[in-house]
Amino acid sequence: MYEPKIIGFLCNWCSYRGADTAGMARLKYATNVKVVRVPCSGRISPELVLRTFREGADGVMVLGCHIGDCHYGTGNHRTAKRMPILKKLLEYNGIDPERLYINWVSAAEGEKFATVIDEFTDKIRAMTPFEEVMK
Amino acid sequence: MTDRLTELREEIYKILPEVDGVIALKKGPSAIVAPYLFVKEAADDLQKLAVWPKEPVPDTLKIIQRAHPEARLAIVVRGCEERGLVEMFKHSQVDLDKVTLIGLACTAEEADICRCTKPAPTHAKIVIGERVEGTVDRLTDDFTAKSLEEKLAFWKQEYSHCIKCYGCRNICPQCFCNVCTLEDEKWVETGRLPLPQPSMYHLIRSMHMTAKCVACRECEETCPAGIPLSIQFRLIARDVKQMYGYETGENLDQQPPQLLVLEEGEYERTGLPH
Amino acid sequence: MINYHNVLTTCPYCGTGCALHLQVLDDQLVGVLPAKEHVIAQGGLCIKGWNAHAFVNHKDRLKTPLIKKNGIFMEATWDEALDLIASRLAAIKAESGPDSVAVLSSAKCTNEENYLLQKFTRAVIGTNNVDHCARL
Repeated sequence: MYEPKIIGFLCNWCSYRGADTAGMARLKYATNVKVVRVPCSGRISPELVLRTFREGADGVMVLGCHIGDCHYGTGNHRTAKRMPILKKLLEYNGIDPERLYINWVSAAEGEKFATVIDEFTDKIRAMTPFEEVMK
Repeated sequence: MTDRLTELREEIYKILPEVDGVIALKKGPSAIVAPYLFVKEAADDLQKLAVWPKEPVPDTLKIIQRAHPEARLAIVVRGCEERGLVEMFKHSQVDLDKVTLIGLACTAEEADICRCTKPAPTHAKIVIGERVEGTVDRLTDDFTAKSLEEKLAFWKQEYSHCIKCYGCRNICPQCFCNVCTLEDEKWVETGRLPLPQPSMYHLIRSMHMTAKCVACRECEETCPAGIPLSIQFRLIARDVKQMYGYETGENLDQQPPQLLVLEEGEYERTGLPH
Repeated sequence: MINYHNVLTTCPYCGTGCALHLQVLDDQLVGVLPAKEHVIAQGGLCIKGWNAHAFVNHKDRLKTPLIKKNGIFMEATWDEALDLIASRLAAIKAESGPDSVAVLSSAKCTNEENYLLQKFTRAVIGTNNVDHCARL
C-alpha cells in the first residue's frame, strides 16, 4: 500500500505551535508528514521546495502565520508572493501544482492543523508517486 | 535596414562630441559584430557601425560604469535592451542618470525572430527606425495548450540536451549576483549529465527570473543545445503581470513586487486560501 | 579616454574551434562574449569557453619553468630546464630502453606542435608510445 512521503515546513510561532495544540488535544491525523521547523514561512525559498521534491518527496506543505499575524511583521508576505509563482512554475514543468500546499495555521488552530494534514495526505495518496512521475 | 543604419550613424555623430563614448555594435574581422565603445577621438570607427545581430549591450554599460562611474555615456538600445537597463537600474546595477538612450526600433522580421510583443523602446527620447506592431508569441501560446503530461515530456526531452554551460546565466542582463545560487552544490548537483529530473538548474533559474526577465531572448540565442528557454520565463512574466500588475522594464519608478509587502487586493489574485 | 572593444579569437580549449570575443576594457581582460555569426559556434559556448578569460591573468599561472629541488619547486631558466629534461630522458632511454618512455600530448596544441611531438617520440626517443588527452 503506497504511503506518500510528505515534508511539512512549519513556522515556529504559529503553525508549529498549532501542531503542538493538535497533539495536546490528542487529535488523530495522518502520520505521513515529516515536520521541519523554520523561524518563519518566509524563510522557505523556492530552492528549498525544489530540493525537497528532488529528494523524493511526494508532497510539500508550507504552513505559516495568518497574514497580519507574522511574528516578524511581513515575513509571510514574502511567502504569499513567492509560493504562488512557484506553483505556476511547477505546472509549466509538468509537475502537478497541487503537490505544493500553502496555508495559514495559527497556534490555537489544532483542529485546522489536523484537518489540513489529513486532506492533503489523502490528495497526495491518490496521485502517482512522484518518483514514478519523474522517470 | 540600410536606412536605419545611416540614420543611426548620423545620430551618433551628433551625440559623440558631448559624451565620453557611445556603446553600439561594430563589425569586426570576418564581418563579425560585437559591442564597441565609439569615442570622439576615433569617429572614423563609425564606418563599421552595425545594427544586426542583436548583442548583449546592457552588460557592456554595466562593465564600463563599474570602472568609470563618472563617465557620461550614450547607448544604442532596442526595446528589450532598454527594458533590461530599466530593471538593472532598479537593482542598482547601472546609473541611468548619466546615460543617453538612443532607441532603435526592430523591424517586423526581427520582431518575428524574437517572437516579441514590444519591439520598440519606450523611454528613449530618440528612436531610429519605424516602430512596428508586436507579434503574437505562438510558441508560448501553443505550449500553454499542452496537458500536464505533455509539458513534462516536453521539458524532459529539451533539458536532456543541456550541457550546463551556464551560458543562459552568463549572458542574461539581469544575472549579476556575485554569489550565484546555481553554483551552490546544495541546490544544483555538479557532475551529472544528462541533468537529473526535475532539473534544479532550470527551475531555480526560472524562479529567479520572476519580475526580472525582459524577454530579450539572449539566453535562447546562446544556448548551444537550442532549448526554448524563453517559454518558461515569459509564462512567469505573464503571471507576475496578472498577480501583481508588474510589467518588467516598463516603469522606472515601480519597485519589483517581491521586495515589497502585499498591496491592496494583491492577496486575492494569488489564489491562496483565505 | 575610455577604451572598450571586443577581440575576436578562437577558444584555446578543445579541438572544435569555437570563436569568442574577449572583452577588453582599458587594456584589461574583463570577460567573454560569444560570437553569434561565427560558423562553428553560432553564438554558443561551452562552460570552458565561457571561462576562457579566467586563466590569462590568474595568480597561479606559471611564468617560469620550475624544477623540484629537495622536494620544493624552485624557479629555473629555460636552459636549465631543457638541459635537465634532455639529460634525464637520454639516461632513462639508455637504462631501460626507449619503450620505457611515453609522451602524452594535448588537443590544445596546434597540428604543427603535435606533429613535432610525435616525430620527437618516434624518431628521437625511438618508441611508439604517443597519445593525447582527448583519447582519455
